[in-house]
Amino acid sequence: MTLLLQGLALGVLTGGLYALLASGLSLYFGVMRVVMVAHPAFLFLAAYLTYTAHTAFGVDPFLALPVTVPLFFALGVAVQRLLVARLAPDNLAMMSVLLTFGLALTIEGLLGTFYTGSYRSVSMDYATRSLTVGGVHLPYDKIIAFSVAALTLAVLFAVLVKSRFGRALRATIQHREAARLVGIPTERVAGYGFGVGLATAAVGGAVLALITPFFPASHWVWIGKLMAVIVVGGLGSVVGAALAAVLLGVVEGVVLVTVDATWATMMFYVFLFLTLLVRPQGFFGGRLAHRF
Amino acid sequence: MSDPVSDPMSGPIAAEQVLALEGVVAGYGRAAPVLRGLSVTVRAGEVVCLVGPNGAGKSTALKVASGLLAPRSGRVMLAGRDVTGLTPQRLLALGLAHVLQGHSVFREMTVAENVRLGGYTVRDQARLDARIEVVKELFPVVAERWGSMAGLLSGGQQKQVEFARALMLEPSVVLLDEPSMGLDPRNTQVVFDQIDLMRRAGVAVLLVEQNARRALEMADVGCVLDLGRVHISGPARELAADPRLGRLYLGGQPAT
Ligand SMILES: Nc1ncnc2c1ncn2[C@@H]1O[C@H](COP(=O)(O)OP(=O)(O)OP(=O)(O)O)[C@@H](O)[C@H]1O
Ligand SMILES: [Mg+2]
Repeated sequence: MTLLLQGLALGVLTGGLYALLASGLSLYFGVMRVVMVAHPAFLFLAAYLTYTAHTAFGVDPFLALPVTVPLFFALGVAVQRLLVARLAPDNLAMMSVLLTFGLALTIEGLLGTFYTGSYRSVSMDYATRSLTVGGVHLPYDKIIAFSVAALTLAVLFAVLVKSRFGRALRATIQHREAARLVGIPTERVAGYGFGVGLATAAVGGAVLALITPFFPASHWVWIGKLMAVIVVGGLGSVVGAALAAVLLGVVEGVVLVTVDATWATMMFYVFLFLTLLVRPQGFFGGRLAHRF
Repeated sequence: MSDPVSDPMSGPIAAEQVLALEGVVAGYGRAAPVLRGLSVTVRAGEVVCLVGPNGAGKSTALKVASGLLAPRSGRVMLAGRDVTGLTPQRLLALGLAHVLQGHSVFREMTVAENVRLGGYTVRDQARLDARIEVVKELFPVVAERWGSMAGLLSGGQQKQVEFARALMLEPSVVLLDEPSMGLDPRNTQVVFDQIDLMRRAGVAVLLVEQNARRALEMADVGCVLDLGRVHISGPARELAADPRLGRLYLGGQPAT
């Protein structure tokens, strides 16, 4: 019973992190209908930058965010304007996979050149202990990861729902021509949408640096998991992806403590296939969640 | 139609041309052009109705007029000024509104958000609030379903939200692409009444309708479009009675 609770608690915490890591993917798909394979590569680029800030300048992973978040936003705008927006609309989905696959390999190559292939990690004293509640151990790093993810997602939602930019972005996602007709500069807004997506990667990368060791090819493990999250959640739905992330996090956590790690990872693909078989539009997209 | 301003044949004091497409050639991507030298003129306080078979290029013509699609050649004139190639945003500021064919509400937003987005480019909150009251009165559904998710409304109700959104900035030129599609007779009447009201207010209306007889009855000028060109045009009532309309478009039934 404690074991199950343990799995459940860890699952919720990790699920929250998955929600943050996948939110960018939902945004890219929403604004441009592209599958951004390079998102996890950018996550680890951010993790390495966090590592450098920490080892070279002694900066706390989260104190580097005021630099990395704007930097990644600008990178995202550049990727959209200079690359994605130039793809022909007829074969956008396919070409975007190739393009972002190339981006991912490029980033991985650069990371290998500058940081070598060995494992790196950032360990902070405050993240190594754990909290014990009724026999359930909650490691501080996971609690921090969850809290940062929840906070970032809350800010993201507030921006999407309340701000003028958020309304323009949602309108652009939901009906591009109608958005242009009410005077929204949809191309620019799509670029900013991409920027916001990549800005979430800057935060996600800082969190990853804190909770897990990484090497240049680490991103490949994540693309599958995160794709599963956004497909189960309903492509392009930010809220759907967040719900699916927590669901899959919990399933993974419970299977991890009751069966084993292989099956835990497998659950992502089991749910992916189930979704495609039963409800290809995703379980939380459409009416339940507001598709942003 | 006794209103002199609305009569296209009112001679020397004919109202100014508000919107004109002049020899427009336009198409999508690298494909052959859809519009091949289309010319249409709309005057203030006038309803011009485009009819024609599916694929004739009616919607494409409206997209060129509202800046959604840049023409390959030819000109778009708005209030005497060459606006060819301007963005929809600029044209909106110049008083043009376009209600798209089919459904174009922002489905995952409330009716309120949809209507407010009609005023996206205007920061003057007081002016927008005043307009909201006006469109709520014009389209009661908008007031009744103010807080509902727009995608959950029926097709006809969504259409009314789209009109409300398009009228937020009091446009002087309105492009309507099959506005009665999917509406019940009562709401069709509401839409046609609305068009009539706009005409009386001096708005220039370019209307695309499949319900040709009905639309030509209320329009001032009719144009039959086929293969990207105007084949016949003239006073709408005469056109409705023109046997060529039947041959070209209505499948050969005798005109009534
Ligand atoms: N976005 C698009 N991309 C490529 N081709 C298009 C696009 N929209 C329309 N077309 C093509 O342009 C031609 C004219 O289409 P358009 O929508 O203007 O016709 P329409 O007269 O409005 O027809 P309908 O009565 O069916 O609405 C069609 O052959 C269509 O295939
Ligand atoms: Mg059409």
